[in-house]
Amino acid sequence: MGIAVEASGLVKNYGRIQALRGCSFKVEEGEVFGLIGPNGAGKTTALRIVGTLLKPTTGWVKVFGVDTVEGASEVRKMIGYLPEDAGAYPNLSGIEYLRFMAGFYARRSDIDAVVNEGIQISGLGERLVERIRGYSKGMTRRLLLARALMMRPRLAILDDPTAGLDIIHAHHIRVKIKEYVEKGGLTVLLSSHNMLEVEYLCDRVALIDRGIVIEEGRPEELKDRYGAENLEKVFLEATRVG
Amino acid sequence: MVRILLALMVKEVKELVRDPKILLGVILMPLILFPIMGSAIGVSQESAVRAASSSPIAIYNEDKGEASKSLIGFLEKNCTVIAFEASSLEEALTELDKEGYPALLHIPLGYSANITSGRKAMVRIYANLRDLTITETVGAEAAANLINIYSYQASLSRIERLLGEVGATYEAEAVRSPIAIHYSSLIKGSLIEAPPQSIIGLVISQSVLLPVLVMVMLMFAIQMAATSIAIEKEQKTFETLMTLPISRIAILAGKLGGSIVVAILGSIAYMMGFSFYMGSALRFASQMPLPIGEVGLSPSPIGLLLLGCIIFITLVSGLALAISIAIFTDSVRAAQSLVGVLVIPVVVPAIILMFTSLENLPAGFRWILLVVPYTHSIISSKAALLGDYFRAFGGILYISIFTGSTLYIASRLFSTERIITSRIGFRRSLRTQE
Repeated sequence: MGIAVEASGLVKNYGRIQALRGCSFKVEEGEVFGLIGPNGAGKTTALRIVGTLLKPTTGWVKVFGVDTVEGASEVRKMIGYLPEDAGAYPNLSGIEYLRFMAGFYARRSDIDAVVNEGIQISGLGERLVERIRGYSKGMTRRLLLARALMMRPRLAILDDPTAGLDIIHAHHIRVKIKEYVEKGGLTVLLSSHNMLEVEYLCDRVALIDRGIVIEEGRPEELKDRYGAENLEKVFLEATRVG
Repeated sequence: MVRILLALMVKEVKELVRDPKILLGVILMPLILFPIMGSAIGVSQESAVRAASSSPIAIYNEDKGEASKSLIGFLEKNCTVIAFEASSLEEALTELDKEGYPALLHIPLGYSANITSGRKAMVRIYANLRDLTITETVGAEAAANLINIYSYQASLSRIERLLGEVGATYEAEAVRSPIAIHYSSLIKGSLIEAPPQSIIGLVISQSVLLPVLVMVMLMFAIQMAATSIAIEKEQKTFETLMTLPISRIAILAGKLGGSIVVAILGSIAYMMGFSFYMGSALRFASQMPLPIGEVGLSPSPIGLLLLGCIIFITLVSGLALAISIAIFTDSVRAAQSLVGVLVIPVVVPAIILMFTSLENLPAGFRWILLVVPYTHSIISSKAALLGDYFRAFGGILYISIFTGSTLYIASRLFSTERIITSRIGFRRSLRTQE
């Protein structure tokens, strides 16, 4: 297995505010890698840099060996990005949204197959013909996950994919992520505040606090290292020590 | 590339047209509300004029002489006359108020004596304004018009009688008014047999009205584009778009293209609705402007083409400016407030140039206006209409340069991370940047 994402010494300044202070991590191909940390730790900024939305002030990120600044358009062909708390176009139907997005990746002859894949991932059935305006938060999130995965990207960047969702929608999303990783060919980089979700989904995690990675490893390794019964306690202990 | 651009434009048009606020405000409102308003004004005018013209005129005649009887006889032939048998003017006015007639004609004592002795006689008309509406003046005006006609005819017959007495062969009309004025207007070397007021009225209605409509449309388009950008930012759909394997210029072009399509649909609806409104509301107006073809001011095909170019390039410029500004905001409210500032450069030149030409303004003020691209939209529209193609081209060139610069800035902004981080509302966006 190769390296899917390699971030080295990432610094990101917003004026006087420093969101990242030398953040480094590696994501191996085919794994689910979780960035966990408190609010304002720099998780979203790190994911946005990997997703080519932001340029690092210093440092670099490579996605499958391609620099996210120099080769941004090449990187965009390989990723599916799901922003935190994002919406979709409220006046389009679910199907129209999937078709619109599929058109940017697939050839005209392949669009129907891609959209069908999106329909399957979303699991929204007949509700997809309705306008997105009427969707609940969970339905919208399922649609957006379908959009991010239906193109079979090499890397899915999911920023807090189940934030604020009820158990049913959150479960559907976790199952679909797991299912697509197991099918092969997909690497996932996600952030989350839900430690149960992180333990369920992630092969490896990085604890990020105040713009730097303070711990990295498999959930079991981290629990052993801190003698903690769950990742939540690992997180609290690591941030206290850090 | 074309397929991607088309997909972005179609998405933008669907999003905008399906938005109930935009559908109602930009397309349906002008098509429905203007004709309803026009019909309402037309119907109310029609019924008011009909009611007023058929309303009787109350008369309180203190004079009782032959001359006053002759005047009343003339009025009786031309309208319904109600004679008040009151003992005083106060009693007549009380009755007028009670009965609700629109006007009372008071013929005072001595009227006939003045007429027969060759002195100027006086009558007084009391208008009864019960509801303080414009149409209530029609009754008094109708009475005054009839009295003026009677006065004119009485004047002519008296002049004829006097001329007969002295054996003069003058025309009574020429004695009464020896000089007649006939207006002609010279426009760019062409002589037009029409008074200058009519020509100017026509030019204002045809060449200024259109830019004013364009300004209104432009403001709609600017608000629409800014709102659309702000919604994309609020909903974080821009974040998704920016990670797709498409160029950021294509995203900008798709947004501009979609907004232009909707703005053109809106402007067509606006002009259709407004022309119906004008037609309905002015159905009963007595003095319509001259038909434009009769005074040789019809725009040529080249003029119309230039006019179309001016409207189009003005729209693109406004939309590019709105998008460039809205990029800096992070909410619909902030975007609308910020582009609201654009009302000043869009509307001020339109209002000033409705009343005067640029040449009549002080030099400093003129140059300030000339810097504003939307001044050129109005000047060039008028120039295209009047066949001054050089000036029209100059205006188009200036607006194009401004639009090109704005588009360049917008495309540069789209290529930066400013579109994600934004400046206005930055504190809030920072809180979300973990």
